[in-house]
Amino acid sequence: MSKEETFKLLSDAVVSCKKDAVLAAVEKAKSEGIEPAEIIEKGLASGMNSVGIMFERGKLFLPHVMMAAGAMEAGVKLLEADMPKDAAKKKLAVIVNGTVEGDVHDIGKSIVSTMLQSSGFEVHDLGRDVPLQDFIDKVKETGASMVGMSALMTTTLPGQREVIEMLKEQGLRDKVKVMVGGAPATQTWADKIGADCYAENASEAVARAKELLL
Amino acid sequence: MGVGDPMGMPITHIMTSGMSGIRAAGDLVARMEMSKSMRVGDAKNYVAKKLGVSTLDLSDEYVMRELREELGIGVITSVAGAPKGIAAKMNIEKLLDIKINCCEKFRQKIR
Amino acid sequence: MGDGKRVYLTKEQILTDLRDGMADAVDLGDIPELSGDELDKLMDIITMPSRMVGVEAGMEVPVTHDIGTIRLDGDQGNSGVGIPSSRLVGCMVHERAFGADTMELGHIDYSFKPVKPVIAQEMQTMEVCQQNMIIPLLYGAMPNMGLYYTPDGPFENPGDLMKAFKIQEAQESMEHAAKHLTRDIVWIMQRMMASGADGVNFDTVGAAGDGDMYASLHAIEALRKQYPDMYIEAGMAGELMLGLHGEMAYDGTVLAGLWPHQQAPLVAKAGANIFGPVVNTNTSKSFAWNLGRAVTFVKAAVKASPIPCHVNMGMGVGGIPMLETPTIDAVSRASKAMVEIANVDGI
Repeated sequence: MSKEETFKLLSDAVVSCKKDAVLAAVEKAKSEGIEPAEIIEKGLASGMNSVGIMFERGKLFLPHVMMAAGAMEAGVKLLEADMPKDAAKKKLAVIVNGTVEGDVHDIGKSIVSTMLQSSGFEVHDLGRDVPLQDFIDKVKETGASMVGMSALMTTTLPGQREVIEMLKEQGLRDKVKVMVGGAPATQTWADKIGADCYAENASEAVARAKELLL
Repeated sequence: MGVGDPMGMPITHIMTSGMSGIRAAGDLVARMEMSKSMRVGDAKNYVAKKLGVSTLDLSDEYVMRELREELGIGVITSVAGAPKGIAAKMNIEKLLDIKINCCEKFRQKIR
Repeated sequence: MGDGKRVYLTKEQILTDLRDGMADAVDLGDIPELSGDELDKLMDIITMPSRMVGVEAGMEVPVTHDIGTIRLDGDQGNSGVGIPSSRLVGCMVHERAFGADTMELGHIDYSFKPVKPVIAQEMQTMEVCQQNMIIPLLYGAMPNMGLYYTPDGPFENPGDLMKAFKIQEAQESMEHAAKHLTRDIVWIMQRMMASGADGVNFDTVGAAGDGDMYASLHAIEALRKQYPDMYIEAGMAGELMLGLHGEMAYDGTVLAGLWPHQQAPLVAKAGANIFGPVVNTNTSKSFAWNLGRAVTFVKAAVKASPIPCHVNMGMGVGGIPMLETPTIDAVSRASKAMVEIANVDGI
């Protein structure tokens, strides 16, 4: 089997969302002498990208995304022994995510958190109706490089701007990227309040986070 | 239709596409869509036949203003003595050959 | 633009955006393209120089309403304009000042669950409104299954469970919540029907994913069985049914991943009279792109639906920009296009 065929086998195994299939594909790749980093990047991660695209197109759903992410994690674990210490556990970046104070909408924000997590980011989901200072505190605590803020109401949207101002006041603005989203948020709003990006949906949130952080 | 300020959303839609309710025959066509799951064309044909007018007349204020008053099915302006509320809806029941829930409840309460 | 901002495009740019928007719908929904004539007509509608446009005489359709009277007495969160007024006044203003074809009564929170503790108030208000009004008056609310999860409700939040890889537990939580939601909707509507309501408007079905739609369809089925003549309208929350559970099915069809033309037959099968398809507006794309896309999706839904379709045309749906003071030129054009090209039975 050529390397390309093995990478496809790995990718398809992740898309199938089945842990057993992923583990078998990883074993096969190892037996062919492919480097662990290549197995992850060109096989497993490529499969997760496909899962993200299929999620966006309504062909796969959140439980499938989580199952695929779980299967990939099991595959990565199998490679840990052959990799430099901690390399396998290394996350892409740390992101703090939440719905701003006064807004109890949770579902869309949770989908974004799940998709970011499945894509390899370390996500600290603060939940909904989050006091604005909590975003700042969590950034300090985790050393996050991005803050994601959701708001589903025009009345709570200004909370996103306030957090940006608070980041500036506390000297953190240059250290973290800010992503905003939620039904009433737009690119114009993001530009107006000085956010680094706006994402229309969960798949776009992952793409924007990768553009800004990797 | 959903949210948006009254002028920007409902009023704009009604001005662009609506049948304008009891100003003409919009409520009657809506009742046939909702009570019998009729598509808009069928609902208009049904109502027009019952009223003895053309389907074009169903959105014609000139035709419907007088007809509604004659039939006692409610008019947009507050005509003293004309049937309103449940009285008008009881006349709509007879006209369209349908049952309206609140009229049924009203009848059940009369001893 | 999809966010309401005015931009200037050439005819060629508009046509390109119309075609691209249409192609996106065709690709995602696996549905037919608009014909050349229909694209020409869309182009004509968009480029008409007048601020407002109108449907051709004889093509008018009935309009139905979501959010009750909140747009009058509510706050900015619902695009309300804060006019202190009773709900009876609000309903009658819609009937007699706005020329509405139908109306609905709803309470300020506008979700089914919080109606339970104030049911007597809702019944009393419905009775008073029915005594004074002529147009069909439904009771409207959102299924909003999110209210059944912690911290608002008794069941563990599936979002949290999912993030902890507790997938089966998350699915079970959604199944429990769906059962309670169905039960609550039926209980509430039994009382509203006893108070003379013409029927019910389910607004934003599926907002909490496929479990939300599952619960709503079962509520529709139960209500139809008990009230053969009840008016039942079911409007969706989004164009794609989000598969938060992923495996819930109604009448043998998995709900996750359904597009408007696939949702319509199921809503009809459950027993609704009116289906409200939704197509979301992309705020970063032009009005032409969004309208081309929305009309393509809705036309397919109207064709597939065995019951009348009242397309959702609010802020950020149906090609309408996402702006709480919607731009009248865009709203009017989207409205005309849905009637004349997508052939909707109402708005």
